[in-house]
Order: sequence, then C-alpha cells, then structure tokens
Amino acid sequence: MRLHEHEAARFFQQAGLPVPSFAVVRSADEAVGALGHVGLPVVLKAQVLVGSRGKHGGILLASTPEEAREKTAALLAKTVRGLAVESVMVAKAVPIARELYVGVTVDAVAGAITVILGTAGGIDVETVAKEQPEALFRKTVVPPAELHGHEARALARAAGFRGDLMVKIADVLVALYRVFRKSDALIAEVNPLAVTADEALWAVDAVLEVDDAALFRHPEMPKDTLARIEHPIERAAKQIGVSYVDLDGDIAIISSGAGLGMATMDVVGQRLKPANFLETGGGITEELMYKTTSLVLQKPGIRGLLINLYGGINPIHEGAKGVVRVLKERQIRIPVVAKALGNRQEETWATLKEAGVIIVTDITTEAAVDALCAALETRKG
Amino acid sequence: MSILLNKTTRVLVQGITGKIGQAQTKWMKEYGTNIVAGVTPGRGGGSVEGVPVFDGVAEAVKATGAEASVFFVPARAVKDTVFETLEAGIRLVVVVTEHIPVHDTMEMRAEAKNFNATLLGPTTPGILTVGEAKMGIIPGNLFPKVGGRAGVISRSGTLAYEVGGILAKAGTAPSTVVGMGADPVVLTDLADILKFFAADPGTDFVTIVGEVGGIQEEMAAEYIARDFKKPVIAYIAGRNTPEGKRMGHAGAIVQRGMGSVQSKVAALEKAGAHIAKTPAEIGTLAQGLGKKPA
Repeated sequence: MRLHEHEAARFFQQAGLPVPSFAVVRSADEAVGALGHVGLPVVLKAQVLVGSRGKHGGILLASTPEEAREKTAALLAKTVRGLAVESVMVAKAVPIARELYVGVTVDAVAGAITVILGTAGGIDVETVAKEQPEALFRKTVVPPAELHGHEARALARAAGFRGDLMVKIADVLVALYRVFRKSDALIAEVNPLAVTADEALWAVDAVLEVDDAALFRHPEMPKDTLARIEHPIERAAKQIGVSYVDLDGDIAIISSGAGLGMATMDVVGQRLKPANFLETGGGITEELMYKTTSLVLQKPGIRGLLINLYGGINPIHEGAKGVVRVLKERQIRIPVVAKALGNRQEETWATLKEAGVIIVTDITTEAAVDALCAALETRKG
Repeated sequence: MSILLNKTTRVLVQGITGKIGQAQTKWMKEYGTNIVAGVTPGRGGGSVEGVPVFDGVAEAVKATGAEASVFFVPARAVKDTVFETLEAGIRLVVVVTEHIPVHDTMEMRAEAKNFNATLLGPTTPGILTVGEAKMGIIPGNLFPKVGGRAGVISRSGTLAYEVGGILAKAGTAPSTVVGMGADPVVLTDLADILKFFAADPGTDFVTIVGEVGGIQEEMAAEYIARDFKKPVIAYIAGRNTPEGKRMGHAGAIVQRGMGSVQSKVAALEKAGAHIAKTPAEIGTLAQGLGKKPA
C-alpha cells in the first residue's frame, strides 16, 4: 500500500527525520487557518497517489494568505493525472541550495535491502541511475542487521561529503532505514532531501510504500487499503480476495493461478482480445467462483468466457458449482469454455457440462482457445 | 533420476493438522512420498493419515530422522518456523505459504545461506519427482507414471502443471518439477536450482517457466551463458502485461520499464536458450531436442 505524502511525512517525523512543519487541509479556509502554525511561505501539495505531481501542476508555492487561499481552492478543484484532489498538504517552504536523494528499498538481485544516497536529487532516481550512475552510492544491508551509523557515514563519505553535513546525512540514512524496517516497507524515499545554504537538511518529500502482506502487524497504518484502488472492478476483486487487472478486450478470463493467468492472456491475445486478467489464487470455494464469475461478466460487451483451472490446492469440483449458479441465474448466453484439470476433474466436468459449458480436456490452453474461437464462429453463423 | 527429492527422502509436514495440511498429506502419501512425521505446536502425540504428529521440529527429527520439510504454516508464523526447522538440522524446506511479508523472506533467505540449505518459495507449489514423491500441492495425476529426462523450474504453480503435462504429451516427460515461488524475493535463486539439474545425470535438458517481474531470469541467463552445459527451453508469461500492474503474484509487475518479458527473453536468448512464445511451443521445442544425438 502506497501512503499519501502527509502520512509518510508523519512517520518520517516520528522517526526523527527533519520534516518541515506541515498540515493537511480539505478546504481553502483550513489552508489559511494552518498558516499560523506552519508559517509562510508555504508549498501546497495535492495529496494524490501518483508520481511527478510537480510536472502536472499538483504542487504550488504561496507567499501570502490570499495566495494560499486561492491556490488551495484551485488544487482542490482539479484532477492530477486523472485523480481528484481531496486534500492538500500545506508545508513550510525551505530555501533550497542543493538537492540530494536518499532511499531504502528491497533489492531483488541481492534479496536484501539497498540503501541509496544520490548526489543529485529532485529527479526520478531511475533516470539518474541511467544517465548519471556515478551520482548514486549504494550499500546493501542483509536484515535483520541494522544500518549502523559508521556504515552510513562511510556511504556519505564515499559520496564526497565531509564535516557536519556528512554526519547529518548519515543520521538521515539511519533514521530512514529504521522507518523502512519498522513499517515493513517496500520503499522509503526522500526525493529531494534539501540542503540549505547553511547546510541544514530538510526532507521536503516523503514516499513510503508498505508491504500489504505485512499489514496484519501494523495497526498504525491507514485502514482504507481498498478505497485506494481506483478501478471499481479491481477494487471489488480485492474485496473478494482475487486479483483482477482490467484490459482492453472482450474475452473474460478466470484462471486459478497467476502464471497460468498470464499464459492464458498470452494465448488468448494471439487470436482474440483479453478483457481482463483474473486469478483466484489457492482459495477456491463455490462462493468464491460464484462471485468471481459474476465479476468478470460485469464489464459491458463481453463476448466469451474462458475458465482455466487446476485442482492442486483448489477444490475445482466445488468451484464448478459456483460458475454454474451464475450461468443459470443470469441466463448467460455467451460461449463459456472451461479447461479444469487435476484432483476430482471428472466431477468438475460433469457439473459444468450440465450447464452448457464447453469442456476441454486437453492440457494445452491453446486447445481451450481453439474451442472458444470455434464457438464464437458458430454464434456468428 | 531426480534432484532434491526421491521416494526414499524422509519428509516432514509442518502445519499437518490444518485443513490444507491434512488434505495435502493424504495426496502426498498417495503419490508415494515417504512422509515420516508432522508438526503442529500443541498437537504433539496425535496423528494425521497415520503420520505421527509432534510439537516441535527437533523432536520430530530425533524420533523419525526427517530430512526435508514442507510447510502449510500460516504466513505470520513462517519465519519463526523456518528458523526452528534449520536449527533442527533440516536442509530442504518447501514453503508453500503465500502472502509472507518480504522483510521476513529476506531474513529467511539470509538464514538459509548461513545453514547452506535449499529453501523453495515462498508461494511455491513445491517439488515433484515424477513417479516417486512430491512435497507441496502439485497434482500428481497430471504427470505420467514414470519420470523422464526433462527438468522443469517454474516461478508459477499452475503454469508448471500445464508445462509438465505438455512435456509429457510431447514424449519428453519431466524428471523433477521445481516450483521456485513468485514473490519479489525468493529463498533460492533460479540459477542455484539450475545447478542441481546440471549435476543430475538423469536430466538431459531444463525448461524454465518464467514470468514478468523481478530479475531472476536475467540472473539465471548469466549463469547459463557461463556454466550451464545442458540445453534450456524458456517460456516467459505475461507478454501483454500493462506497466505498473501486479499480475496476481506479488513479484509479477513491470515497474519503471524493468522486469518485462522482452528483457528476460533477450537475456535468455543471448545465453543460448530456446524460446517458446506459448506454453504449447515448449512441447515442439522439446521434441526437437529429443531428436538430436545426446
């Protein structure tokens, strides 16, 4: 789950990172009210969960109360990269002399944690990695080890910093690493980390993405995980515990595994257009398949449904009953093809067949797509 | 022949008294797996499917000589249980459990290296040596009765089943099918599993079933180019994956241009692998390899 900037900033502040004073407001009046505590000039930042807000007009500067009022109202009235702005972060503006980058992330190559210090900040770190790799300095830490102060100082020294500034940067790195570990994060990032003319450091941005799988042990995290999913069908899917990704086509797909789902998309995509990716994971029940089948058929204009299941951990014979219930209740007339193999496959086939589902017993997904294409042709003729 | 698991391997089932643990123990036994013990804390002294249940791993190992363990343990208890299992001397662990926090996985990965152990997963269907034994949830009835000479390594579960079946249908049955798991961080790297197949005289070639996201396939490609002498067939799922969307598996995501099918295919092709564009093409390619003199 990606946190809003102001949520991340709160956690960063609690961990001792130098975060400029800020408030979160939902109206222009509230913005003016917050100025007493935040102090002018301020940066007004749209709280939407997308990157490059600055480029898309989501970050504005205000030096007077009038400006703060007008610009907050303007931000709250607009959408940034398609997302409505519901709140604005009002943060004390800092006079920036130089921008750095600090980030902590999971490194898939090492299977460990990477701490990154960049001598160029404010721009996308991936762009820096490509165009100025010499500006990035990394340290791999294998948890449960901490990032020690001396290691952080060595990293800051390697990046060319000396004196008080070197020590302050190291402190920021250690604090950021602690937040990353403490919150089970996938990424914790400050970009830019601002340096003022008198060498004070300010975290003028805050990015924190928390591992969904670890939310059970983080009561301090926001509870509205579902509300943060933009697409209505993707949100409904998450609610029933399956994974859905919306695509452009008109052939609905249900698969019992992620790899199988992607392969099904690949094969369908050669001749037809997939409407979605959907995988049930290992939790199939009659009820789950009932909800899942209803879900993929929700999208307007679906021409066919391909069901691709393996009964390993999944009781596919139970799932079949759920599919059949939807087809009967909603009197579905489009062709439905099922390839369902594994434990108790014969029982599964019998249940589906009775409801008019075309059964494919061949092991290849190609065979299922052949059957679907043939059925679609017949309908046309 | 096989890697890691055969019919004599003495297998422990952790979380054996849960609903899934019980059901899968039955399937594993029916397949021929030599299951010697189960563990569920608090249930010591009981039995499941005729298998004695213990409270802890050390006790189970002492009583039965268990040497490999398969996990049907809830996500929040997995890290602690893996540490217990390694401490008790077991060096092959199959973590079937999904949705394990990645910070836990990183710690387990480090611990596995300290103990020089092979841990498969998380989110793996397990390992199946055709006609002999299986640890995990791979359905045995999808495979022929007798194993062949094709190794399979898959990030995905269900797709491994399909590919195993396709290979068998092509007349090139699998030897051992290994699910390596589909999380952003895995406990054992693809390249390290390839090393077991390199050393197995019963495996002639290996099929890699990859998918979008992460960098496992690219890392394996470096190893293949450098050291792996047997032919490799590779299929990478997810050609039509939109950027930034997680395709079911926590690790299956193309992010900031990284982890795409194109980059994986390019790396593997450069390393000399035969690339299948669809799962069915794996069968055709495997038949082609079968015709070449060994």
